[in-house]
Amino acid sequence: MQEATFLILTSLADSSQHGYGIINDVAEISGGRVRLRAGTLYTALDRLRMDGLVEVDREEVVEGRLRRYYRLTPSGTKLLAAEAARLQANAAAAMRRLNPLGVVT
Amino acid sequence: MNSTASLERGYRRLLAVYPRAFRRENEEEILAVLLATAGQDQRRPGLAVSADLVRSGLLMRLRPTVPHSARTVRAAVKLICLAALAELAAVLTIAATSAEVLGYVHRTAPWAAHSAALSLTKDEIVGPIAIVILLWLAWAIGRRHAWARAVFLIFFMVTSLGILAALAEGAAVTAPADFAAGLLVWLLQLTAVALVFAKQSAPYYRPEPAEPTDRLPA
Repeated sequence: MQEATFLILTSLADSSQHGYGIINDVAEISGGRVRLRAGTLYTALDRLRMDGLVEVDREEVVEGRLRRYYRLTPSGTKLLAAEAARLQANAAAAMRRLNPLGVVT
Repeated sequence: MNSTASLERGYRRLLAVYPRAFRRENEEEILAVLLATAGQDQRRPGLAVSADLVRSGLLMRLRPTVPHSARTVRAAVKLICLAALAELAAVLTIAATSAEVLGYVHRTAPWAAHSAALSLTKDEIVGPIAIVILLWLAWAIGRRHAWARAVFLIFFMVTSLGILAALAEGAAVTAPADFAAGLLVWLLQLTAVALVFAKQSAPYYRPEPAEPTDRLPA
């Protein structure tokens, strides 16, 4: 899974968000490292909706503009959990091997 | 004209790259995000944002619209692209070696030179056409066009006839490399046809029963 996809799913894990909210949230989660652009975000959202991982939660009209809130589907939650566990296992293995060398404090 | 209106017009022009159906549903929303992330007195779209919109829009026009779970269809699309790539390799090889081959035929079997030249010219014309058709079919099959399956089947039959004709002319003996390349392209297509017409692929080519409720325009 690409990092951008992982971060988008993560931003939707505990609450629904609209596009602009996802961009800000992803920036925060990644410590400002990943700044999603609008084109990339909506291309990813379209793909995730097509794959049944993300769905529209609700729509609001704010200042005359449509605002759509997205949320994870059950299979999106499952996939994110599996991916997070995989990354965690890999990271833990790396830490275990680095620790004795005194590289990681 | 104030700067927001001018900026909005710039963004709308860029969003025209996206497929119409996607635009109908998402343009206002993306526009809101673009305007929210733009600078204070910005009058026109920035270069990086513009490049991202164009890249994403083209991607959305070209990429398959079947979900990743549609393994048979996705595999078929990949195989058809692979067939196009193999065909391209064959065409390039023929183009690069045709002078040498003709020279050789001229020296060893001058009576066959004319038909050899004719056959090579035919390959150089038919090959590129086949590549374009294959890429177009890969696109259409990935985009769930039901007609693309029928066109692909017809194209596959034509390719099969070509292979049979080459076989009848003794190409397997006189031009083994050329024949092997043709056979490879044919085998890739055969597998792709089987996948496209597999039972698991069928649901993706039925007309959608109804618009899913979350996709209704606001």
